[in-house]
Amino acid sequence: MTPRSSSSRQRWAALLPVAALAAGALWLSGPSAPAIPDALFVLAMGTALGVVLQRSRFCFFCMLRDYFEERDGRGLLGILAALAVGSLGYLVIFGAWLPDPSGRYLPAGAHIGPVSWVLAAGGLLFGWGMALSGSCISAHLYRLGEGSVLAPVALLGTVAGFGLGFLLWNRLYLLALHDAPTVWLPDHLGYGGSLGLQFLVLAGLFFLVRRRRPGPEATVEPGTSPAGDSLFHRVFLRRWSAWVGGIAVGWLGTMLYLRVEPLGVTAQVGSLARRATDAAGLLPERLNGLDGFPGCATAVGESLLRANGLLVVGLVGGAFVASLLAGQFQPERKHPLAFAAALLGGVLLGLGAMLSLGCTVGTLLSGISAFALSGWIFAASMTLGVATGLALRRRLFFWD
Amino acid sequence: MIPMKSFLPLAACALLASRALAAEDALVTTAWTEENLNNDDVRVVEVSVEPGVYERGHIPGAAHVRWHTDLVDTVRRDIVSREEFEALASRLGITPETTVLLYGDKNNWFAAWAAWVFTLYGHDDVRLIDGGRGKWEAEGRPLSQRPFRARPTEYEVTEVREELRAALPEVVAVAEGDREGQLVDIRSSDEYSGRIIAPAGVAELAVRAGHVPGAVNVPWGRAVDPETGTFLPEEELRALYAAEGIDGSEPVITYCRIGERSSHTWFALHHLLGYDVANYDGSWTEYGNSVGVPIENPSGSVWTGQ
Repeated sequence: MTPRSSSSRQRWAALLPVAALAAGALWLSGPSAPAIPDALFVLAMGTALGVVLQRSRFCFFCMLRDYFEERDGRGLLGILAALAVGSLGYLVIFGAWLPDPSGRYLPAGAHIGPVSWVLAAGGLLFGWGMALSGSCISAHLYRLGEGSVLAPVALLGTVAGFGLGFLLWNRLYLLALHDAPTVWLPDHLGYGGSLGLQFLVLAGLFFLVRRRRPGPEATVEPGTSPAGDSLFHRVFLRRWSAWVGGIAVGWLGTMLYLRVEPLGVTAQVGSLARRATDAAGLLPERLNGLDGFPGCATAVGESLLRANGLLVVGLVGGAFVASLLAGQFQPERKHPLAFAAALLGGVLLGLGAMLSLGCTVGTLLSGISAFALSGWIFAASMTLGVATGLALRRRLFFWD
Repeated sequence: MIPMKSFLPLAACALLASRALAAEDALVTTAWTEENLNNDDVRVVEVSVEPGVYERGHIPGAAHVRWHTDLVDTVRRDIVSREEFEALASRLGITPETTVLLYGDKNNWFAAWAAWVFTLYGHDDVRLIDGGRGKWEAEGRPLSQRPFRARPTEYEVTEVREELRAALPEVVAVAEGDREGQLVDIRSSDEYSGRIIAPAGVAELAVRAGHVPGAVNVPWGRAVDPETGTFLPEEELRALYAAEGIDGSEPVITYCRIGERSSHTWFALHHLLGYDVANYDGSWTEYGNSVGVPIENPSGSVWTGQ
């Protein structure tokens, strides 16, 4: 079978997840739909997010690895673009919701978390988890849609890691979190000052990462015809530049915050883990103060499925559609030890995300977009984790 | 040509008619509210307990009051202090003459709490938008995300109507028959009977179950139309409470778990039926924890110490 016919068969198979998403949308607009406000909107945004992440390979670990190992900063530009667009978008919303930032209030629901060593430790663990498992949580989710065999294992580990986090929570809360300050930059610098500072930092990072190895621009995915230059090829076959993905992610995050809640991908995972540990009788009777913090790792929803679950379903579905269209649905055979690393990495991802009240999406992207110091702390410690984790990975992963 | 001037009285009349609001109308409809969004004598205020609800879309021009921080003292267990209330009312740009229209999520419970606090601090012209946020949304009326802006005023409280608030000693005195009065427990019948301490999903903040001796049980929801969440017509309300012996002939005290749902019933009894009624904001979370007070527990559940 030529690669071409296999990819064209995949293209037709994309109708399946499209039909599944459409059926889901119908169910959500029907009488037996769960009581989730703006459910259709969330599903649609999740689907768009899945397509964007898959098409632009918006994987924090891959971006950092390209930079640290290949000196290629193009991926990281995607993150910077997402943060720039997100900050501007959040600023527009904040201006309407909370015209005076120096008052006694924080903007409703924004991911502005407590700053303490627990957050930094969570970021570090999360970075190690990324290095071991090969991705962050959002990228594992979109890779489910690409047929990755490691992603399900890593995500299983993530649920377990969340459970572990819940068991440690009360001790850490009394040690450090109960009096950890929640630092919101506009409270100190105003909106203008915060935007100025944040863009100054982003500009500095831009100059840091732009020194990349000169190489050919991203061209054509393997298995596709290099001659194709139609719109279909450009959109569905060729990889998008990371910065294009970043702009889209920043915009989607803004729209989601405006209408529903900040963009995040771990709230559903966290609430499942909390239910599971509770059902197993492992959960302490009370998780001190946890539900009072904003972020994605908290509160169990009253119903099993919550808005964040719909977002994740849409994300996986959208990535599935995009990867089939591009002929990139490729389950691979992996070394048995790779599964063990993915599982262990997943546990670290879950534990890190629980302690940081979110992951690279909720705490980093949505947090920094909301001008939260916690977002920056997490970004720094997570990057350190990935950098040190990569060194470990090079030594240990003989099968890679 | 008819001179323009002759139209003016007519126009003024029409304007007055659309804005006229009888002093006894403690409830306004969503339709009336929508017609009066530009009425300078009216200030619409949302009191929703769910964060982000107001921000993502409120009645155009409505101000925002946060129950958790604006209407209660955040350190002591108490309602907002007089000074804080004055600062809040000044921020809302209201004067003692302003008609304050309150609404919110969760069946107007927290809006009703606000109405109680406003009345307590002497602002009499306070009304609820009947059916609250739920009805406004269900009717597809417009929502806005524009921030609230108003010229601040210097609001002064001239009278504090302490008689609208009941404290534990008064409640105990009524329970023990040393003081004239009737008690209305507006919690669910399971909480009232002592089968449970708190509704599902809510922390059990009392160490004893049951109710204040002599209290009658009229769950708050019986005072509203289950479909629209609007209050029953006045006559039906009067009959509802009269059937339980509450007819306004004696002073009434309402209570619930923390005093917010009972504000809803307090509003019905005070503003709609005109009874002499106080809200006991300590409610069961204070009474059920108090030492040495009498309790009725018809379910017979006893403390097992576990």
